Amino acid sequence: MTNELAILTHGLTKSYGHDEVVRGLDLSIGRNRITAFLGRNGAGKSTTIKMLLGLIRPTAGSGTVLGKQISDAKQNREMRKRVAYVAEDKPLYSYMTVEQTINFARSFYSDWRIDVEKRLLLDSELPANRKVKSLSKGMRTKLALLLAFARRPDLFILDEPSEGLDPVGIEYLLRTLVSSSADGVSIFFSSHQIAEVERVADHICILEKGCLLMDASVDQVRHSYRRIDMVFPTPPSERDFRIPGVESVKTAGHQMSVFASRNAEEVVERAHSLSAVSVEVAPVGLRDVFLETVREN
Amino acid sequence: MLWYKAWLETRSRFLTSLATLTMFSSIFVHHALYIACMNTLPCSEEIKSSEWRSEFHRLLFINQQYVVIMWILAVVLLAMGGLVREKALGTSSLTLTLPVSRARLMRVRVAMGVFQAIALGVVPWVSVFVISSRARMPISITQVGSYVLLLIGGGLVYFAMAILISSLITGEYTAPALTFGVVLLAAMLFDNWLRRFNVWRLVTGDFSIDRNTFLLSKHLPWPGILASLSAAALMLLASVMAVQRREF
Repeated sequence: MTNELAILTHGLTKSYGHDEVVRGLDLSIGRNRITAFLGRNGAGKSTTIKMLLGLIRPTAGSGTVLGKQISDAKQNREMRKRVAYVAEDKPLYSYMTVEQTINFARSFYSDWRIDVEKRLLLDSELPANRKVKSLSKGMRTKLALLLAFARRPDLFILDEPSEGLDPVGIEYLLRTLVSSSADGVSIFFSSHQIAEVERVADHICILEKGCLLMDASVDQVRHSYRRIDMVFPTPPSERDFRIPGVESVKTAGHQMSVFASRNAEEVVERAHSLSAVSVEVAPVGLRDVFLETVREN
Repeated sequence: MLWYKAWLETRSRFLTSLATLTMFSSIFVHHALYIACMNTLPCSEEIKSSEWRSEFHRLLFINQQYVVIMWILAVVLLAMGGLVREKALGTSSLTLTLPVSRARLMRVRVAMGVFQAIALGVVPWVSVFVISSRARMPISITQVGSYVLLLIGGGLVYFAMAILISSLITGEYTAPALTFGVVLLAAMLFDNWLRRFNVWRLVTGDFSIDRNTFLLSKHLPWPGILASLSAAALMLLASVMAVQRREF
């Protein structure tokens, strides 16, 4: 089972003093799929990624990436040979040129594909002899992504990969993610851009205040999440709709709105039994699911 | 390629320091010769006299004092950087996600620094030797070798201290400023209470110089050099351990 998972954590926790940034995180990220890691700023996404890569040590709990223990320095090093990581702020050595940066990164990985490197360099129009410190933010992002995509790893871990890219760059990135996934590469990426996530992700995990609130496939979310808008002559109590699967109930005058992760049919039946004048059931987008999920918690 | 990175990271500091040290030493010795020739004629006769020989050796001893000051400044600046500094700049996540151990990253950084520190000790003194020899000044390779040995053997502890402090403290200027503070404080404290153990005096040749001839003794203070090297090794080991334990 472990070998079928790209990432597996048990009770992964990180505290700074009394501040618990990640709380008992249980993640099971399958291989060969695109998993989006969502959460508000400060939710603990980057901290989790840093723990997975061995940059920081978990306060409690354990985890494996590609079957290697994250807390074991030697195993973590072995794992990093098979993982391509792009950090949130796209760090690059300012004193190197683009070409020196690529040569430097290439020397560490046996899975480097020179043909892909040349193509990406050409497509991204990166000036090979220019110092990294004089590149624009977008160019730096392109270079950071090139260092990852020129490889053929088993797993991509990408922290806000589209940040700083123009729409053309974002489109290119999303297509690359999809084609890499089709080639059998597992992808785990964090993003605030829900529209991008909705386009490419197979699976989503939502983190809030260090806790995992949702771990579901995008299809599952699309099929089961519904918003039910109802109008009543006299609105009933919100408690009448507190049934399993109902995430939130809101009342505004004669209108009531129920956000349900499942059991939408039962909500509709109950609305009719409570003399609803009008009942409308609508599918909800990932953006609404995300907002409702983090708002409720 | 880690060597390449370490070189690119430090080359401007290293080359600037090397040029400064070499030019200073060369000009210092050349100027002394010029003064000697201006004051007394014929110049060649003056150079042959025993007073001038002693004076020239004193000059070399003074040169070592200045070289030591500049060399310490240079090696402390060379020790700036590393993973803790990279953390402040944000690049540590790039370095630490490479498939190499932190110990290896540190080893390469330290080794590059040691090679550069050696070059910063050797090259200025070689230039002094070449200039003096060409001007037929009384300089021996043994004396030059001894000065270099004292400088590097005794002085690497300053480099190690700078590496240790830069492994513990994040600020770009805080670490070198603190190192300079510790160097000065240690020199003053040891001079007042434990003069025999003052590394500064060991490195400058103060413990080995003959005050009449201003020649270094043939018997170099090996226990002092070995103690200094041991202290340097311990500090470097502590630096590696600090970086291995640190979170980035």
